Amino acid sequence: MRIEKHPVLNFEEKKKIIFFFENQEMTGYEGDTIGAALYDNGITTLSYSGRAHEPMGIYCAIGNCSSCIMRVNGVPNVKVCIEPLKEGDRVERQNGKGDIL
Amino acid sequence: MKHVDILIVGGGPAGMAAAITASKYGKTVMLVERDGHLGGQLVKQTHMFFGSEKQQASVRGFDIAKGMVEEIEAIDHIEILKKTTIVGMFEDGVVMAQQREGYFKIKPQAIIVATGAYEKSLAFKGNTLPGVYGAGAVQTLMNLQGIKPGQEVVMVGAGNIGLIVSYQLMQAGVKVNAIVDAAPSIGGYVVHAAKVRRMGVPIYTRYTVKQALGESKVSGAILCQLDDHYQEIEGTEVEVDCDILCVSVGLSPLSELLWQLSCDMTFVGVLGGYVPRVDERNETSVAGVFVAGDVSGIEEASSAMVEGYLTGLHVNEYLGVKEEGLSSLIEEYEEDLRALRSGPVGDKIRQGIAQAKR
Repeated sequence: MRIEKHPVLNFEEKKKIIFFFENQEMTGYEGDTIGAALYDNGITTLSYSGRAHEPMGIYCAIGNCSSCIMRVNGVPNVKVCIEPLKEGDRVERQNGKGDIL
Repeated sequence: MKHVDILIVGGGPAGMAAAITASKYGKTVMLVERDGHLGGQLVKQTHMFFGSEKQQASVRGFDIAKGMVEEIEAIDHIEILKKTTIVGMFEDGVVMAQQREGYFKIKPQAIIVATGAYEKSLAFKGNTLPGVYGAGAVQTLMNLQGIKPGQEVVMVGAGNIGLIVSYQLMQAGVKVNAIVDAAPSIGGYVVHAAKVRRMGVPIYTRYTVKQALGESKVSGAILCQLDDHYQEIEGTEVEVDCDILCVSVGLSPLSELLWQLSCDMTFVGVLGGYVPRVDERNETSVAGVFVAGDVSGIEEASSAMVEGYLTGLHVNEYLGVKEEGLSSLIEEYEEDLRALRSGPVGDKIRQGIAQAKR
């Protein structure tokens, strides 16, 4: 959900970006991080923890904590809270550690 | 291998300030920032700052950042490297940097580490559920990315960050159901607490969070009362609705690079954890490695900036610069820092800094 009215900040309407979450088409906006675009679309479970496989989402939002790592265009362990969204990105939930080989 | 006079790690308030003064007498400066933009956490601070006019009181945090970025970009012997992470610092003074394309080495004459801090967390059941955030995270989501993180929040921690972020959540249209703090009294400034109370937000001291409820995301929280020894009192549990549980229990210095370099470190609770032992010039036990800002002890952005300005000048002195006016400028910033840390509010900080002296 986007903030529409704010007493201090102005959020201008930006160019739309089409991307895919688990093969489902979604809309984000230029300047979004992947995490912000997913949250705007109501997707808050971004990964599952390594041992207990519990749902995890954004915790720190500045690239410190690795709670939000996802598979982006086939590349695992991308911190989506700081990763800029690009046209056509294919984003998938990650379960535990990503395979790099 | 890239050669530079002064390498600054971190483009937040301390690092930016350090870059400005470090470059003042012609030394080449490389300012490295892991994020895609300079400004650190200033860019999401929508509130006006306190302090004196010189420290830009009454200016909003993001406007302070904007002004500093413009100043830095106009100085041509500062090289700015964004989306670049320093991943290694070695005994021979070589520093390893990482970009998406790969790694490269840097050989500076002196280094200022200004990596800032990270948010502490709390151990409670359900603390990894989506909807549990650090307080800084909801600030980033709201004030930088324009995303409303939910409808109703419980804030854990009534320090300045907890109080300010609660107010900012209300500005974004989120209802603040409660602010709780384990301590017997509110840690933040009275003005901030009064502001949220006036808007009808209850603040409960001697309370903490016991559990975050919900299957795939937060749907509520169980709070409970604490005794004089911060132990949970059985039977005092209350369930509160919320879809955001914000943890604002302080910050710790982000000091991995200093550990890697085997800097002499010491635990100072009031400064947020392990901090480097420094001399009066902010130089660590490793020659030529200086620190500025929260990495040397948690304070706030105003003192981080002054510390940055000051350390940039100290490094010039360390590198043998003997310009007229350098020492009087240093004295001026030292006086500013003393003023910021004066009075009863600065008591703990002054004690902490004394403990970390080498």
